[in-house]
Amino acid sequence: MEELTRLADEAAAEVTAAESTQAVAAIEARYLGGKGSLQALLRTIGALPADERPRFGAAVNAARARLEAAIAERKETLARLERETELASEALDVSLPGVPIPRGRYHPLTATARRITAALAGLGFEFVDGPELEDYEHNFAALNYPEEHPAFDEQMTFYIDDQRLMRTQTTALQGRVMCDRTPPFRIATIGRCFRYEAVDATHHHTFHQVDVFMVDEGVSLSHLKGTLKRFASEMFGGDVQVRFRPDYFPFVEPGVDYAVFWRGRWLELGGAGLIHPNILEAHGIDSERYSGFAFGLGVERIHMIRHGVNDLRHYLENDLRFLSQF
Amino acid sequence: MRLPVEWITAYAPLDLGSEAIASRLTMAGLEVEATEETDAGVVLDIKVTPNRGDCLSVLGVARELAAAGRTPYLGAPQCPSSEDEPPDAALHTGVTIEDPDLCPRYAARIVENLRLGESPAWMQRRLVAAGMRPISNIVDITNYVMLETGQPLHAFDYETLRERRIVVRRARPDELLVSLDGVTRPLGTEMLVIADAERPVAIAGVMGGADTEITQATRTLLLESAHFDWKSIRRTARILGLGTEASYRFERGVDPDGVVYAADLACRLISETGSGTPVPGVVDEYPRRPAPVRLRLRQSRCSELMGYVPTEDEIAGSLMALGFSVAGETGGVFEVGVPSWRRDVTREVDLVEEVARIVGYERIPERLPSGATTQGGDAPGGALRNSIREFLVGAGLQEVKCHTLVAPSGLDQPEPSLGYGDGARIHIRSALSAELSGLRRSLLPGVCDALRRNARHGLGPLAFFEIGAVFSSTGPATHVEREAVAGAMCGPMSERSWLGATRGAEAFFVGSGVVRALLTSLHADAACEVAGGDWEPDARLHPQRQTRIVSGGRTLGILGELHPAQQAELRLRDRCVVFELDLAALASASHADGGSFVPFSRYPAVTRDLAPRVSRGVPYEAVRGIVRRAAGDILERLALTDVFEGPPLAEGLKSFTVSLTFRSADRTLSEADVEAALTQARDRLRSEVGATFQED
Repeated sequence: MEELTRLADEAAAEVTAAESTQAVAAIEARYLGGKGSLQALLRTIGALPADERPRFGAAVNAARARLEAAIAERKETLARLERETELASEALDVSLPGVPIPRGRYHPLTATARRITAALAGLGFEFVDGPELEDYEHNFAALNYPEEHPAFDEQMTFYIDDQRLMRTQTTALQGRVMCDRTPPFRIATIGRCFRYEAVDATHHHTFHQVDVFMVDEGVSLSHLKGTLKRFASEMFGGDVQVRFRPDYFPFVEPGVDYAVFWRGRWLELGGAGLIHPNILEAHGIDSERYSGFAFGLGVERIHMIRHGVNDLRHYLENDLRFLSQF
Repeated sequence: MRLPVEWITAYAPLDLGSEAIASRLTMAGLEVEATEETDAGVVLDIKVTPNRGDCLSVLGVARELAAAGRTPYLGAPQCPSSEDEPPDAALHTGVTIEDPDLCPRYAARIVENLRLGESPAWMQRRLVAAGMRPISNIVDITNYVMLETGQPLHAFDYETLRERRIVVRRARPDELLVSLDGVTRPLGTEMLVIADAERPVAIAGVMGGADTEITQATRTLLLESAHFDWKSIRRTARILGLGTEASYRFERGVDPDGVVYAADLACRLISETGSGTPVPGVVDEYPRRPAPVRLRLRQSRCSELMGYVPTEDEIAGSLMALGFSVAGETGGVFEVGVPSWRRDVTREVDLVEEVARIVGYERIPERLPSGATTQGGDAPGGALRNSIREFLVGAGLQEVKCHTLVAPSGLDQPEPSLGYGDGARIHIRSALSAELSGLRRSLLPGVCDALRRNARHGLGPLAFFEIGAVFSSTGPATHVEREAVAGAMCGPMSERSWLGATRGAEAFFVGSGVVRALLTSLHADAACEVAGGDWEPDARLHPQRQTRIVSGGRTLGILGELHPAQQAELRLRDRCVVFELDLAALASASHADGGSFVPFSRYPAVTRDLAPRVSRGVPYEAVRGIVRRAAGDILERLALTDVFEGPPLAEGLKSFTVSLTFRSADRTLSEADVEAALTQARDRLRSEVGATFQED
């Protein structure tokens, strides 16, 4: 029995002192293995008197269980320490840049156009594409432009020949749509327009425009204002106020320009109004029963306002120093 | 148009600061673009829309201001009417209008005892404030009256007029006129001129002639006040490239009923300033008096279109303040007389606008439309454009937007195999510069220019794409406009990294990787065709490094390295790879919904390598096709893992290492199954492309 106590104490001390999982494994083998000391001690049981054997056996087993528990605990502690040491040696400078992943970007006008499309689609407007190379009929005549009218002064046009031209406004789509649809409809288009302008920070011969129009029974200026307010709120965020001012475009009557109040100032966004009854009638739409509204806006202008861009020329120059900012 | 505030408020007495006046005018539709402090007080710069010629005058602006400011409009200055005087003027001159369509009215007054001198200081002050240079009492008075009433006037030296009479007619062939600015102008027969008995003395409504100009020697003058057809004036001014204050107003509409009044007002000022003695009476030819316009205005129509119900008082009050006559309202319907100066008002809806803007647009409530309508959503082509953009952006390309109007260039060539006709360039008529001289036929010049521009500034990575319209002529007056996507890449696709640059692959394979993955992402079945055979290589590309992308017999586009000559022109150090695909062809090749589900096998796979050696001229595509066909249904996947040339292979040979994955849908494959497939593949490779194998 003294031998057992001595052996158990000796083993416990060795386990506590062990500095590595390998050392613990060696101790385990020495005391608990098939040829280990405890096993050897157990084999001496035969030499004991019969009545002492159960007590001795139980004591050995208890000592064995204690030792096993101590070994398991020490192993776990050491394994944790060893893992920690190993992890500590694997420290990385996590502030270093990662593997470069090629990253492209949308052109800022695409991103803006997608916002516009989402906002208008949510209001029930269906987008339709129109040609950039238009004809005089759709760009002007069908839009109630009288021949030789001074309104043309604002629409310096790139002509291909007498009939064909580069569209000066996406409004050119209205006649195309009215030719093959019957009301009610809500239509929008977004695209490139061209006017002979000297290029500077606020003028370009090539620009992008949205045109939005709807025709239904009882469409009024009030609906135009409500739609613009909702649209502008989606584009700029918050509860945006809308203001109308009289203006003139041959294709609307009444014609207005509209502005929204944003961050303490009025932003003039574009022209709007009720579709001129001459246009509805020219496309076989009863102007007594149906009315419609239309509004337009510049895609560049929306992006310029939202991001504080001060020069329109950036949009077609494709300089990464500009493009990479959005 | 610049006008001093004090001149406007002389007729619209509004006790407000100039800023408030500017804002009232702006909100009524006369946008004040700028205000300026001058010696003559505050001057407003007013933008008048092209439909409102009546507002190109002090009186017109004052009328609008009074209506918007709810103050009485005092009306034009009192002036004795020459029509009430004895017709002495008719003894001095006569007026013949040969073309009344182009000249509906012509009035002439005679002024004798002319004393040319300076105009009074108060008049000069107002003229200067309005941006006009004082010249002499007579010129200043005609300008002053034009500014005040909107009616352009012209003074002729009466004694220089042959037979002392006026003939209004079209110019005759080969007639010339030296205009006031000293330029000799050839006249066209479509132009209206003011002539005397023999020759043109003025271009009607545009500019007078030098021969009949008043001078220090002038003793008697003939004062013209007339009305001309706006289209004719505009066309003439445009052809001559000569826009004047007069033509500007005539184009936009002048009041035909105000013709004599303006002449009378000028004569009154001439007389009051002691500049001359007007002869009583006027010669007034008015062969085309427009019928008065009367319109019906329904209160209900106003409410329907405004979305606001104006009261009867609001309707009548707004219109009357603007000079419309409003006769007896019955059952919500007004009989409205349109004043002669408002030629822009022709329909009921025009009256609705007048009511709405005077009542004030701020009164109109905001309401969203309701009711059945179209289904909102993106354009039919939008989904494809978005898929392409999303893929290419994800692949590391920057989207750009390039010019549609371009100069001719070697890169701007059509791809004939796309099947869009002869591909001739479409030119802009009378282009002002080469850069704006025609329409792009290809997106390649644009994306390549993005490479050049950014490379020049040392920016990167150089990988760009554009989706846009391209154009080409298909006949004398026909064309095709179609959409395309193009990309251009040069050098590494990502920034240099401390992790070591990824070894630069041949530029061609960078582009080929992008295009093939794009096609896969669009579920488009397409193959690359090697140059030669039935198609001419694209001259813009490296002759040995280009391919045509084909699907179901239709060409989708091209892919290849830019021709080194083009690369040099763009001043790019590295090889560039470009592609351009037709969107319509791409749309028809792609199966956007991705097809139906095929159950996958749950049995294990077996992977084996095959390494055929073939002569250098055998394309991989041929090897791949043979293996695919020979290995049969159990070949699940085939991947090229190595291409090798050089020793120990004999000169002129190369080897492909292809990794083959076999799997059966219904059983576990045996070694014999796989070996049979491999043997079949080897045999076919031997017989069809003369392949050899190491084990041979």
